[in-house]
Amino acid sequence: MFLKHIFLGAMGISFGMFAAGGVFTVLISVGLIPRFAGKMHVSSKVFLFEEAVVFGTLLGDFISVFERHGKLGEFVLKNELFGQGRTEETWYVAGTAIIVVFGFFAGIFVGCLALAIAEMLNTIPIFSRRIGFRHGLGIAVLAVALGKAVGSLLYFAKAVYLYGGM
Amino acid sequence: MAGEIVYLKAERNVEVPEDDVFLKDIAKIYCANGNIAAKVKAIKVHRFSEAEPQRQVFGILKLIEMIQQACPNVTVENVGETDVLVERVNVDSHKGGTQWLKVVFVACISFFGTAFTIMAFHNDVGITKVFGKVYELVMGQPSPGYSILEVTYSIGLAVGIIVFFNHIGGRRITKDPTPIEVEMRIYEKDVNDALVETADREGKTVDVS
Repeated sequence: MFLKHIFLGAMGISFGMFAAGGVFTVLISVGLIPRFAGKMHVSSKVFLFEEAVVFGTLLGDFISVFERHGKLGEFVLKNELFGQGRTEETWYVAGTAIIVVFGFFAGIFVGCLALAIAEMLNTIPIFSRRIGFRHGLGIAVLAVALGKAVGSLLYFAKAVYLYGGM
Repeated sequence: MAGEIVYLKAERNVEVPEDDVFLKDIAKIYCANGNIAAKVKAIKVHRFSEAEPQRQVFGILKLIEMIQQACPNVTVENVGETDVLVERVNVDSHKGGTQWLKVVFVACISFFGTAFTIMAFHNDVGITKVFGKVYELVMGQPSPGYSILEVTYSIGLAVGIIVFFNHIGGRRITKDPTPIEVEMRIYEKDVNDALVETADREGKTVDVS
């Protein structure tokens, strides 16, 4: 029993290290964070952003792996952290604020990640060269952004995920 | 004075906080004759005005021409870049509240973005099922939900990223630059190259004709 636990533990550590290596190599090689930092002229704070990446990952890991212990809302409501009777309303506002912040920043990140991966494969330069595309790149980029936003909204509004594996 | 050699090492990208750009701002200059070196360093290359774009690309030949006009008969040896990108920066806009706001903004994207990414990744691979299967495989009984596997996985993940990024809590583990620092420099280099090429193509480079 004890030996088996040691074995499981060793497996867990290697799973974790390789998952980290794999996921983060992709994130780094598309160069998202340098681009944000470059655009905003805050490249001197790269260290801080890396810390944010580390702790963001740990948070995400905690929420998805230790799902049962990560239920913040349940915890707050059960213990009535904001006082008897008022907790539900207060937490409704506070929780919405947290969700809005999370959704907004996660959305920015994923939107950039999707395009950065497309760009890494040189889709846009190759395609625009093939069809002799010279002007209006800005419009094309805007169209891509709008298309992504509309697609994402439709996906959730029409519950497309219910038809998974059509 | 004849036959003196001026060594010129131009930078790729220079940020100047003032309107007037001198040669010493955009290149390192060495000459055995100190007088010539001082004279060359003080050559005024450019003056930014409000109406002009805040970036300017100089061809090295233009700089050599300027040097030779100021000090005839010297030989100029360029050991640096062949094009120099000079950017007029506003020092005031580089600090203060907006700067911190931007830092917080980027840090938020990094934090929530990666939190989301790792959750999506776990969701994609169905990590709870995988852990359950592995646990059953080894222990011969169904997983109680939380086992040592989940705990060590999380520890491994943390160790993995910390080793990968090479620092924790502002302290480097080894002296190597971190991957994002490396990517940052690559990105800056790519941007500089693109700006120089674009200026060249549009004929906006200041160079000898």
